[in-house]
Amino acid sequence: MFHFVGLIFKNLRRNLLRTILTALGTMALVFVVTMVWSVLDFINSQTAEKSNDFKVLVTEKNKAPSRLPRAYRSSLQEGAARGPDDVKPVDYMTWAFYGGTLDPTKMSRENFLFLIACEPEKAPTMLDDLDQLGPADMARLNAGVAKMKKQANAVIIGPEQLKTMNKKVGERFTLNGLIFKDLNLEFEIVDTFPEAAQRYGQTSLMNLDYLLQGIDEYESKNKKKLANADDPIAFIMLKVKNKSDYERLSAQIANSPLYTSPAVRCESASSAVSTFLEGWKDIFWGMKFILIPAIVITLALVIAVAISIGVRERRQEIAVLKVLGFRPGHIMFLVLGEALLIGILAGVLSSAGSYLLFNKVLGGIALPIAWFQRFFIPQGAILLGFLIGAGTALAGSLIPAWSARSVRVADVFSKVT
Amino acid sequence: MSEREVIVRVRGVHKYFSRGSERVDVLQDLNLDVPQGEFLALMGPSGSGKTTLLNLIAGLDTPSEGRVEVADQLISNMSEAQLATWRTRNVGFIFQFYHLLPVLTAYENVELPLLLLPMTAAQRKEQVLTALELVGLSGRLNHRPGQLSGGQQQRVGIARAIATDPTLIVADEPTGDLDSKSAEEILNLLGVLQKELDKTIIMVTHDPKAAERAGRTLHLEKGRLVHEQVRQAHSA
Repeated sequence: MFHFVGLIFKNLRRNLLRTILTALGTMALVFVVTMVWSVLDFINSQTAEKSNDFKVLVTEKNKAPSRLPRAYRSSLQEGAARGPDDVKPVDYMTWAFYGGTLDPTKMSRENFLFLIACEPEKAPTMLDDLDQLGPADMARLNAGVAKMKKQANAVIIGPEQLKTMNKKVGERFTLNGLIFKDLNLEFEIVDTFPEAAQRYGQTSLMNLDYLLQGIDEYESKNKKKLANADDPIAFIMLKVKNKSDYERLSAQIANSPLYTSPAVRCESASSAVSTFLEGWKDIFWGMKFILIPAIVITLALVIAVAISIGVRERRQEIAVLKVLGFRPGHIMFLVLGEALLIGILAGVLSSAGSYLLFNKVLGGIALPIAWFQRFFIPQGAILLGFLIGAGTALAGSLIPAWSARSVRVADVFSKVT
Repeated sequence: MSEREVIVRVRGVHKYFSRGSERVDVLQDLNLDVPQGEFLALMGPSGSGKTTLLNLIAGLDTPSEGRVEVADQLISNMSEAQLATWRTRNVGFIFQFYHLLPVLTAYENVELPLLLLPMTAAQRKEQVLTALELVGLSGRLNHRPGQLSGGQQQRVGIARAIATDPTLIVADEPTGDLDSKSAEEILNLLGVLQKELDKTIIMVTHDPKAAERAGRTLHLEKGRLVHEQVRQAHSA
């Protein structure tokens, strides 16, 4: 069998240009599938229900964007638990948003900053994937969080966002409010997210208390309230142990008399993401059920054409191999082997190359969908490249391989003489 | 004809093809014995059936009727897969247009049929080098067919044919694509194979000069053996 593999390699060298073009075509199409699949896989992971450590979003029931009064904060953090038998969340995080420009005369992208205002100490445990950081990165994040707790105007800004703003850790700046218009706040950058927390490259965190304090000071100073000054909170995120606790907690909050004006609703985080992505549903459906199958079929056809031409050109050579004693199975193995070799090598090269290029060099795929700014190619994409390369090569070469195995020696050599 | 053991035995062979409703008879009631070590030439005009007969003897095709036995094995009843295995061990082929694989070197082309046999790499190497030395191409092991002359390519073809040490060597117009000097060399080589290695050779040719090298020449016309010519000097 090993000798046959050597023969397959040598056969691929026969028409190097065709082999290279087929491989490039395969790589290009596998690349597109890898990109599309990576985005869909990320969306799926965000909308899939977890069996443990359920995250629950408590939002305003009948309005979007959601706005909750400050008064809801403390009781919702306790999950509206009143009696000893009530379920209490294991963790919580309050979310508000503040954004503005560094230069009100120049409203450019590099001057704009969007901040998540929260309890800083909750970020490491409540923001997705940060609990996966290594000990060194986690220690660094905790140090940044400690600075934010100690110093009200401290902010942590993602490395990409820092680069966009052309700022460095240690610098101070004033943000002219656009979310909470006219509320201008001063900040000091105390740290950035670790490189390992790649998805937070454009995320910025500020202390919620600093925002609330700013809103209050604005009112006392200007004798007028900012818009949404009374309901500055976007939502409260709670963490419960499991689905059963999630259901009990949801019922607790829904039945509580504390939340009537405005009413609130509970959703699992994945369900909330799904709701948010509802507008993209048709596009995702099209990507999954039209684009990917169309690419896979095209790829199989590209390989089928290339292998068919090769088989037709080598009909006499195939007959010679049969004369020498190669059995139909051997011939089929050689033809399928050529296709599989091109398909698998090109597929893996494309997907592994994309993985390295986008994840390690470019820091993700810049494709803003909803609040997701960047997508990363999962390691599984390398296996996907292998499977698509192998699958399409196999599908595309089956008919040519069958035709090759069926070459009749006598038909090729016997002109009746 | 000699009294040596008969290695090829053809009995009552018919071969016909259907062309629409018409039946085309290519070989009709053909009988033939070829003894071990004979150099036999098959001649005849185009369409006489000589290549078809060669294909039947070499196990590339099966007769419509009749029996073909080679070395006491009835090959006319074998399946395609059985014939493939049988050919590897028993028949060496020499083609008019050499049919070497262009991506392989001379060494690799000769090694090709040996890959199908249960042999170690060292055994294969020994047989390939022996075969290439026999045809005088020890110095061209790593040359690809495109880097060799027609005569040299045909010698590689002969080395490939004898590498498995087959019972029978069949050659279809082996000198048809060569100049007279190269043709002479190839015919000399076939003579050496027959005389020194005691190989049985069946050769199809249009060239009377090539046929003169054979111990016996059979003439076919319209699928029948019409004339037999034995040369005493060359008979085994």
